[in-house]
Amino acid sequence: MNRLKVLQAWLWCVSLWPCWLSHAVPLDCKDETGSLTQCTSISQEKLLDRVIQHAELIYRVSEESCTLFEDMFIPYPLHALRNQGGNLCHTKPFPIPGSKSEIQQISDKWLLHSVLMLVQSWMEPLIYLQTTLSRYDDAPDALLNKTKWVSDKLLSLEQGVLVLIRKMLDEGILTSSSIFEHTLTPYNEQSPEVLESILRDYNLLICFKKDAHKMETFLKLLKCRQSNKLSCLSY
Amino acid sequence: MRNSGAVLILTFIAILTLQAAGVSPPGKPRLTSCRSPEKETFTCWWEPGGDGGLPTTYALYYHLENSETVYECPDYRTAGENSCFFNKNDTSLWVNYNITVVASNALGKNISDPVEVDVVYIVQPNTPEHVTAVVVHDEQGPFVRVSWEKPRTADTRSGWITLLYQLRVKQEKDKEWEEYNAGMQKYYNVFSLHPDKEYMVQVRCKPDHGFWSEWTQTTYVKMPDYITRERSLWIMITIFFVFIVVILTWTLNVKRNSVKLCLLPAVPGPKIKGFDKQLLKSGKSEEVFNTLVIQGFPPTTDYDNLLVEYLEVYDNEEQELVQDGKDLSEDCMKSKSPSDIDSGRGSCDSHTLLLEKCMDGREGSGSNQHQYSQHGETRWASTESSESQDPEPGSPESANGRGKTWPVVFPSPQPQPHHHYPVGAAKPAYHSVPEILNHLSPHAMSSNYHQLNHQDILQQERRFSKPACRHSQSYNQFNLDGIDTPAPGVAPSPSLEYVEVQRVNPENMLLLRPLSDPNREPEGSDCTREDYSKVKEVTSNNILLLQRDMSHQCVDDYSQADQCTTQQPPHPCKPAVHQSNSGMPQEAIRVMGNGYVDSTVLMPSY
Repeated sequence: MNRLKVLQAWLWCVSLWPCWLSHAVPLDCKDETGSLTQCTSISQEKLLDRVIQHAELIYRVSEESCTLFEDMFIPYPLHALRNQGGNLCHTKPFPIPGSKSEIQQISDKWLLHSVLMLVQSWMEPLIYLQTTLSRYDDAPDALLNKTKWVSDKLLSLEQGVLVLIRKMLDEGILTSSSIFEHTLTPYNEQSPEVLESILRDYNLLICFKKDAHKMETFLKLLKCRQSNKLSCLSY
Repeated sequence: MRNSGAVLILTFIAILTLQAAGVSPPGKPRLTSCRSPEKETFTCWWEPGGDGGLPTTYALYYHLENSETVYECPDYRTAGENSCFFNKNDTSLWVNYNITVVASNALGKNISDPVEVDVVYIVQPNTPEHVTAVVVHDEQGPFVRVSWEKPRTADTRSGWITLLYQLRVKQEKDKEWEEYNAGMQKYYNVFSLHPDKEYMVQVRCKPDHGFWSEWTQTTYVKMPDYITRERSLWIMITIFFVFIVVILTWTLNVKRNSVKLCLLPAVPGPKIKGFDKQLLKSGKSEEVFNTLVIQGFPPTTDYDNLLVEYLEVYDNEEQELVQDGKDLSEDCMKSKSPSDIDSGRGSCDSHTLLLEKCMDGREGSGSNQHQYSQHGETRWASTESSESQDPEPGSPESANGRGKTWPVVFPSPQPQPHHHYPVGAAKPAYHSVPEILNHLSPHAMSSNYHQLNHQDILQQERRFSKPACRHSQSYNQFNLDGIDTPAPGVAPSPSLEYVEVQRVNPENMLLLRPLSDPNREPEGSDCTREDYSKVKEVTSNNILLLQRDMSHQCVDDYSQADQCTTQQPPHPCKPAVHQSNSGMPQEAIRVMGNGYVDSTVLMPSY
């Protein structure tokens, strides 16, 4: 009887194995028309380049958004109030080292995971930022567009990183941002005070800019670590 | 209490004294910039605000964004005066540094404004190194290959920092630099540089997010002297076109005459007889103009010698027939009407003779008979003669003096009772038919040479229903013998009427035809367009040989005439022989190349 149950359980597991695998396969490829097609393979090098381009663009746009917000809402004397009074960037599940030597000691795997984590940690705050920015009376359209664009690009970046992880590290990761849920709650509150909300939003933008820079740096480090073709020797 | 008060007063006095001496606490320093060359270390510089006259020390303090711990600058020397150098251990990335500088001297201290710095945003690399520019010779043309090295401190190999390069080129004398972006590579090929010129090259770099470095020292490169492909192509094209132009010019030169004919069709130039172009070219103007000078021209006094060129007749009762003829008697000549000799009137009607009536002449000349030449074509002075060019033996004119008269129809100047009506060269002659009849009637001569054939259109119109034979009719009608009595059909009418001389038969008879004759030939006939006759030559006997033009239209006339009157000359091409008037000057007639006769020579001097 026990043997029979074990056998059944095992059979169930075996039959459900593809489901787990499919659950682990992150994406379906879609062509322009939207229909699902066989994914054409892309080389790892090219994929990495594309991911890096994404990260560069995101950083550039976040920098521009910051400047726009500063010019619009932050009078000059308050520039010094950045990151003061407890407005800090939200903490991450694990700390990222801040010096070159330390960072260069991080393995590829951790580099990728760090990037992924960074990307995933900003998804919610960006959406929140869009809503708050739209509530301002005279928020420039460029700012709103950029914010929206960035959050879209972040999604693509996440997908790219996941593919990279799968390719480079041969591991599948469940796309779940559950670990970040608890950090996002503060952003659901709406502060009644205008200055505070402005400062908080400003802080958000600054923090996002930093994290975008981090992502870019990590990815570029990762690129030069690829041994094939000695990629960064000539640079 | 007293001690504290004394201390205070003393301090106050000391401050006053010091202030009087010009010393004060230091001025506020200012952080000018912080830079990181490789994203691993960074340096901050400040400028002092004024030391207040006392030795001042500066200290830099900082704290990180999420801690309150204040640290002092670890290294004041490495980066020079008024600077603070943060080494690798003290540098944290993606963290804001809050930096202040404090200046302090004996009297006090002063704190600068704080500055927030994040290291990753203040990256400015060092300049690139080992810039080389080499001329590379290529089949397309030489170009310059510029190459350099990355700054030593930048760690691009691990990908920690990514550098983008830029170079600029110019000649010594240019104002503007030409900039090129080289991306991440460490070389660049510069094309389109001018040959035989020296160029200056500089390079700088920038991290992907950061500041541009300074430009390197200038590197000089000299381009070799070469001919660009483009220029050599233009040279070849130019040579080719020059060649083509030369060939065309030479061809045109060779064929210059035919080209001239093609472009500029020949215009018959005026030909002045006696005007020698060669003489003119040689420059002897006197000789040239002497040929133009005709002795005795214009006629001034001697009216007798005036060559009558035309006879003008007015169809007007008031006007008299005026005869302006040299062949007339002298009296007649003198009575020439004051009206115009050369009125031009006659030129409008090319077929007619102009007779100027001369009363005296009429009386004096008596029964002169008139010959009028008639032409089918407007050769007003031709008379038909015998075939030979010799003067007719039987012609009475030859017996008389052979003056050279232009188209003189009536040759004889003798005092025969003839009316000589020389036909002028330029004017057709009109004459009044009845008058002439009157003239003729009393002078019916036995001479066969002078006959007047005329028609009185008013009465004879119906007679000449046959156009072909009207000449003969008229001729036949008015026979020599019948002159005495006017033809029955002819009534001398008082009215004046123009007649047209149609032809002159060999017997020196004028065949007349009234102008209003409906049967006369249409004016538009081609035969009747010329007023002049060409002089073919002048014989030694002072006979003008006129040339009769061959024209097809006129052949008919003559042929008709031939059929009608046997006395007409058989061939229309015979040159007419005219006896010239003896009154003509004896000098030779100059015949121009195209057959024109120089009338000026013939003009007698007065």
